[in-house]
Amino acid sequence: MSGTVSIARPAAAEALRREVEDFLYLEARLADESRYAEWEALVTDDMHYWVPCGAADYDPATRLSYINDNRARLGTRIRQLQTGLRHAQTPASPMRRIVGNIEILAADEARGEYRVGSNFVLYELSVQATHGLRVWPGRATHDLRRVDGTLRMARKVVELVTGGEPQPNIAFII
Amino acid sequence: MGPDIAPFVEDDRVHGSLYVDAAVYEAEMDRIFRRGWVFVGHESEIPRPGDWVTRRIGTDPAILARDAAGAVHVLANRCAHRGNTLCWQERGNARLLRCTYHAWSFALDGALVAVPSPGGLDRDKGELGLDRAGAVAVHRGFVFANWSGTAGPLADHLGAGADLIDRLCDLSPTGAIRLDAGWIGHRIESNWKMWPDSDNDGYHFDTVHGSMLRAAPSSYYEQTVVGGETANPSRAVDYGLGHAELDMRPSYAAQVQWLGTTPEKVADYCAAMRARYGARAEELLWQGPPHAIVFPNLFLGEMNVAMIEPAGLGVTVHRHTAVQFDGVDPAFNQRLVRQSEAALGPGSFIVPDDAVTAERMQVALSGVHAGGNGAPGDGGWIDLSRGRAREQREADGARVGHITDETTNRAFWRRYTQAMGAAA
Repeated sequence: MSGTVSIARPAAAEALRREVEDFLYLEARLADESRYAEWEALVTDDMHYWVPCGAADYDPATRLSYINDNRARLGTRIRQLQTGLRHAQTPASPMRRIVGNIEILAADEARGEYRVGSNFVLYELSVQATHGLRVWPGRATHDLRRVDGTLRMARKVVELVTGGEPQPNIAFII
Repeated sequence: MGPDIAPFVEDDRVHGSLYVDAAVYEAEMDRIFRRGWVFVGHESEIPRPGDWVTRRIGTDPAILARDAAGAVHVLANRCAHRGNTLCWQERGNARLLRCTYHAWSFALDGALVAVPSPGGLDRDKGELGLDRAGAVAVHRGFVFANWSGTAGPLADHLGAGADLIDRLCDLSPTGAIRLDAGWIGHRIESNWKMWPDSDNDGYHFDTVHGSMLRAAPSSYYEQTVVGGETANPSRAVDYGLGHAELDMRPSYAAQVQWLGTTPEKVADYCAAMRARYGARAEELLWQGPPHAIVFPNLFLGEMNVAMIEPAGLGVTVHRHTAVQFDGVDPAFNQRLVRQSEAALGPGSFIVPDDAVTAERMQVALSGVHAGGNGAPGDGGWIDLSRGRAREQREADGARVGHITDETTNRAFWRRYTQAMGAAA
């Protein structure tokens, strides 16, 4: 992907922007509502789901992260939630997130690949035990890829504003 | 003075108010975390002269540092001049630690080296070094500190706990491990004692971790900790002094099962072990690492190491990292990092369910109060009697039960009571 985005035709650029925004909003809503199967349907077969400890400025192969899922491990994560026995998400946390500051950071039109940056604030009520409201501000970087004409997510990196501090349970899809 | 906890702890039950009483918590920070030995870190975190990391001793800010001559120090993270936080980042390397208030500079052994405008310094520099742990000692790279300096030799505190650390380190083909793959902090709204309780509880796995067992069927867990008291021969062992183990060695049916793999898949590692240890390697490869608590705050979680950090009466940081071996290929260590991410931390498949259980307990125990006159109130006892009748005493004094028995929990509370009482 190129480092800068210049799509010659304004109409096409606007259409892409709308498509990318729609994807991010859908992805956020499915995560908020713990609709695991529908959320999982948005990912590619080589999905990488990474929540680094602090900034995403290190090699996750050699240092620990909060979450560093390849596709297989992400599948395990979803299956665990779907058992209905995952105490840390029983019941599922009521959640809503606001997604904004969406920018297409890089685009490869020929390959149908786009890197998208966005900011978010997620509000979670930890109904499993303490009933406290947890606020999760951060930045997401999505690598999107067009598969059979539809955008899919090949990578999602979630850098939490609080990522360098100890975190409470992140047992939902962030 | 402070609270007398003796009425609140019996041989096979403890009173729930101990988890929610602020006076008890304050006494613990003093009697256990300042007057006793605690784990503070590992030498591999500060390999070079001038390296430092910040820590807490109980809730007190501290610095773990290596000085120019290579010696390890545990210092108060507080300028000896006016009390400013000296190191405000998590780690660094420096010839001198320089305060941001008046630029006093300290060597990494805590000595005051320089102050600006020294003509007005009216006290002798030698009296103005950083406060420091009264005793610091290292066992196989594990650094322990006793802030008061009154707890006696580390070896007396560790007792058989030293063998647990040795068993982990001996699994490295060089005999040395590293804890340098980064610490992950898990913040849990529960009292710190829930964690030596929970990390060393062999009775809960089927219920608390049923979702993980279904999502990722694993012969490892099925073999070692699942299925109740008839299904496996794993043991709960109390070595004395509060050090206790969920001993899964009797359950392993093959070498390196504790790695979740087979000898063929880690052939280089097995060869390196045989090269170092000879015939003993066969036993080491079979037995694997301990799953144990070293009193009060060190969790040896098989191929993970965790620090249990009190962060207030009802808040704990459970901070873990993956064990890394010297003398193996990078892929081997990276595999350990992946396994650690799967098992421990806020986004893992296992400990979040323990965390929510601890938080539920903390909520429930908020309704338990001490009665009048320093005695327990009615109700509110935590039962820890399981397996007491069938517990065996070995020749070396160790108490042994089935892995589902509360032998390990009773071990913690026995030492706790002694530590809390001795200084009362």
